[in-house]
Amino acid sequence: MTQYEVKLRLFLFRALVTLVFLALAFQTWYLQVARGDEYRILADQNRFREVILEAPRGVMYDRNGNLLVRNRPIYNLVVIPAYLPADRTERARVLARLAEWLDIPITTQRSPGDAMALRVSGPFPRGRSGAPWDRPAGDGIGGRGVLPASGVLEMVEQASLIAPYQPIVLKKDLDAALAAKIAEENVNLPGVHIETQAQRDYLTGSLTAHVIGYTGAIPPTLVDEYKAKGYAANDAVGLAGLELQYEDILRSFKGRETIEVDVTGRKLRSVGEPTLPQPGHNLKLTLDTELQRIVVKALEKGIRNTERRAGVAIAMDPRTGQILAMASLPSFDNNLFIGGISVRDYMALSQDRRRPLVNHAIAGLYPPGSVYKIIPALGALEEGVVTPDTIIIDEGVLWLPNKFFPDDPELAQPFYCWYREGHGRVNFIRALAVSCDVYFYYISGGYEPSGFRGLGIDRLVYYADLFGMGQPTGVDLPGEAAGLVPTPKWKRLNYAETWVTGDTYNMGIGQGFVLVTPLQILNAYAAIANGGLLYQPYLVQEILDAEGHVIETHRPQVIRNLLDYVSSDNLALVQQGLRAVTAPGGTAEELDVPGIAVAGKTGTAEFCDKYPQCLDKDGRVKTSHAWFVGYAPADNPEIAVIAFVYGGGEGSLVAAPIVAEILRGYFGQPSEQDQIEATPTPLPPGAPPAGASFVARLLGSDSWGQPGTAVTGFVLDRQGMPVAGVKVSLVADTENASWEDPLVSQATSGPTGQFEFTNLGKEISRQWRLELPDYSMAAPLSIEIEEGHRYLVEFQGQW
Amino acid sequence: MFSRRTWRNFDIVLLVTVLLLLVYGTAMVGSATQGAEDLRNLWQRHAINAVSGLVLMLLVAAIDYRFYESLDRLLYILIVASLLVLLALGEVTQGVQRWIGANAIQPSELAKVVVILGLAKLLADRDGQMDRMRNLLVSLGYVLVPMMLIYLQPNLSTAVTIGLIWLMMVLMAGARLLHLAVLALGGIIISPLFWLTLKEYMRDRILLFLNPASNPDTYYNVQQALISIGSGGLLGKGFASGTQSQLRFLRVRHTDYIFSVIGEELGLVGALVLLGLFTLLIWRVLRVAAMVNDPFGRLVCVGVASIIFIQAAINIGVNLGLLPVTGLPLPFVSYGGSSLWTFLIALGLVESVAMRYKKLDFE
Repeated sequence: MTQYEVKLRLFLFRALVTLVFLALAFQTWYLQVARGDEYRILADQNRFREVILEAPRGVMYDRNGNLLVRNRPIYNLVVIPAYLPADRTERARVLARLAEWLDIPITTQRSPGDAMALRVSGPFPRGRSGAPWDRPAGDGIGGRGVLPASGVLEMVEQASLIAPYQPIVLKKDLDAALAAKIAEENVNLPGVHIETQAQRDYLTGSLTAHVIGYTGAIPPTLVDEYKAKGYAANDAVGLAGLELQYEDILRSFKGRETIEVDVTGRKLRSVGEPTLPQPGHNLKLTLDTELQRIVVKALEKGIRNTERRAGVAIAMDPRTGQILAMASLPSFDNNLFIGGISVRDYMALSQDRRRPLVNHAIAGLYPPGSVYKIIPALGALEEGVVTPDTIIIDEGVLWLPNKFFPDDPELAQPFYCWYREGHGRVNFIRALAVSCDVYFYYISGGYEPSGFRGLGIDRLVYYADLFGMGQPTGVDLPGEAAGLVPTPKWKRLNYAETWVTGDTYNMGIGQGFVLVTPLQILNAYAAIANGGLLYQPYLVQEILDAEGHVIETHRPQVIRNLLDYVSSDNLALVQQGLRAVTAPGGTAEELDVPGIAVAGKTGTAEFCDKYPQCLDKDGRVKTSHAWFVGYAPADNPEIAVIAFVYGGGEGSLVAAPIVAEILRGYFGQPSEQDQIEATPTPLPPGAPPAGASFVARLLGSDSWGQPGTAVTGFVLDRQGMPVAGVKVSLVADTENASWEDPLVSQATSGPTGQFEFTNLGKEISRQWRLELPDYSMAAPLSIEIEEGHRYLVEFQGQW
Repeated sequence: MFSRRTWRNFDIVLLVTVLLLLVYGTAMVGSATQGAEDLRNLWQRHAINAVSGLVLMLLVAAIDYRFYESLDRLLYILIVASLLVLLALGEVTQGVQRWIGANAIQPSELAKVVVILGLAKLLADRDGQMDRMRNLLVSLGYVLVPMMLIYLQPNLSTAVTIGLIWLMMVLMAGARLLHLAVLALGGIIISPLFWLTLKEYMRDRILLFLNPASNPDTYYNVQQALISIGSGGLLGKGFASGTQSQLRFLRVRHTDYIFSVIGEELGLVGALVLLGLFTLLIWRVLRVAAMVNDPFGRLVCVGVASIIFIQAAINIGVNLGLLPVTGLPLPFVSYGGSSLWTFLIALGLVESVAMRYKKLDFE
């Protein structure tokens, strides 16, 4: 090669180097200067993360401070695919362990045929299959975060393709012991984490489901409304009962914090000031769990032999309008709604024609029958239609002459008394005591042939309105029905017919077009009981903040004082009449509450839900609802109770015993059953035998947004049923010799098996021991406490 | 051999440039690894490698390069033999096998230097005759043997690097562009045949090389590199203060992606300084090539300039998202003993040429 050629080629080499490096320099400039802002944002997105700080939703206590609703810590197994071991065999080992623990197959993709076979394993797959029954619904059905039916490997691989650094939930709500085990082995399981979450726990379940309600996903139609109030799309909100009614009180407010993280998502530091989360407020109910249990048990017993096995029972304090117990059967377990109810469960509940999800105590509309008679009774006295001494003769039937042919007895219409033989001579008190229908036909609609003027429909409506019929009582529960007080105008609009005397007769005995809710009737009787004050019933007496301070007290609200409209003498006469109902000769003379005077009224309301099966061979309606409503003690009432049995038949035979049973329970008398089956051992049912042994477990802890430390827990038997009356001691587990008597506190498990210790002083000891002084324990339970945490423990009996 | 006269022509500027690159590299390796517990002392090992490499460089420089000329066959046979041994071991373990002797030496790295020496000798023997197709084919055959062996390891990027070294060297030795174009055309024509002979996994490997984004891990790395560099701006986030590198969003940052660390922490200024140092280095090497009359010495320098240029350009190109991901280290800067030593030995050869390029220095 010539020297020239060598130089030329070397020059070209240098030119190439220069050009290439200039191109690289240009690209660097382009990325750093021209597009620098864009990349700086991306870098910040990498390292800054906004984390949501959660605070617990408010809990609920009954009137005696027993916990009804709490937040339970649950453990989710979370995998970050990117941090699983890169090595294939190591990775397979980790996944195999997870599969074993979670009881999920490693893979379902053995062959296409196999995969198909696994996919159609049951009629109601829990996943999103796209089938019509599997669509997401707003009322808590379907649920969030349900994983597709596939193996561990598929779930991880699917996720790692989309977002390898995004944690995926492999399994929700792990068993606490398993969660602890996995957390312990965490070192050997890169990419696997246990995440804690608070979940609603309805301790009394179906016992109080209608009152407490449940939470779930925001209904699609209300998404905008909730978003405007600051909810996130996947937040759970109250959907029924008090959970819905007091959503604004119970809800917690999330906090936010910006943190700097490294590539593994580990928090390095906080950036700026965090907004702290605010826990929801707690509710103290008027409900008495013990009484609720009695009410439900009595009602269950009362409906056992009826065809429909449905009914309502409510107990109320007539002095305040506080609801002490409210049951609507059949009930449902509101725990089923936690985390999304399964399609199968929801179908079962929604297809039951008795509609178990509905609280029939406030939303059920029924003809009241004879329990309605206090309205014409009081009205007739007040309007002077009758005096207490007016005698009406009941021959068992009243022939109402035809309006246009009053002289033709062939066209007269018979109105029967429930007692076909007739009650004979009946005065005011006796009319109520024996529930004489003819008497009430007279005073409601009058009787022209004998020149007797009744109240007439307008005045009947006036007194029905006075007692709150046809209007919601305003109880603090969602979905209350108004009932119906029919008027001539109403009938014209709905039936295009004129109101006739027969309609007034029917209304006078609580039949015909009248519709009421059980709560309306109870409320009316409570007003009679307390001497005229019609209260607005309520279920929540106090709103407490997370530290337990009362921030709002609900005082009794009077809707109206009946004495502004009627004389107290007349009211007293009605009270006397109700008292006579349970006296000898009254319709509920067999009502047995030893030593307690009970006033009340039976009701047997005819209804027809299946025509013509509801008719007997004479064409008369044979199916009827059983009612009884009463209060006690009659002269100084402290409780008013109503029982309603759907299609139960005679009120005196079916409903009255339920109320009697409830009143016996309330006044601390043994129930009928106990009298028969009383055992020689004085132990309450479920009490542990002497020398029983318990296994103690720490279930978890949460930060409860309060400065102190608390320990709460349950004593359960082997079946997981609560055990009351077991003593629990809290002992400081310290080597500090100066602490001479280490026994610090003692508590006894309540009716729900629950006990609680609050304000454990960290300065006394960091380590505390829980003991059962009367029983033996498999191993002592020791807790190391941290300020501001609440610990949940459980003692399970081994007998 | 160690006389003052000989060392008088030692290129000090070249040495200083390399020293600056080594210090730059050590500092950046230190910055890139301080966040990771297990890598924290890596910069010290890098410094030790650099110092020992510099000693090697001086030793290589001390020996007359014509001595290496005489060794070309021996070295070629040795390196081919060791590549064969490695491949045999690799067959046994069914894995990727690039190392010999407890992770100490990568024969494929040394192969680069050997190919430069051998090719320089081969081309020098045919000085002025490289415009013949036959000679071009001979030289191609000479490099294809180690290239194939390295490709089979598999280490496609090093094989490609050797191919590019060959291209640069035959061009500088006087090959005609027309011949190269014919060769390229021939290559394109037989490539489908070649493709058919490949096994499934080999094809996958080539496809992955051409389209690394199909692998989510690789895609992630490239994205993070771009974010690192782009977020650095004009002046960078400051030494040891890059959020991408310090919080470990950027992976393999002390080796393949060291340029991204520089771009993030020292900004455009730091990147331009690095490019400037490389330009200066290559300039100095080519200055020696231009001065020397001996074709062998000249071609050795051309070869060394090529390898530095090719690897630096490819590595930075990958970091900037311009080229498919390869895994080639940045010369003198990336952490890695074999690579560092290879480049310093190569520079030793250049210094050896520089010191002796005149047959007779006036005594």
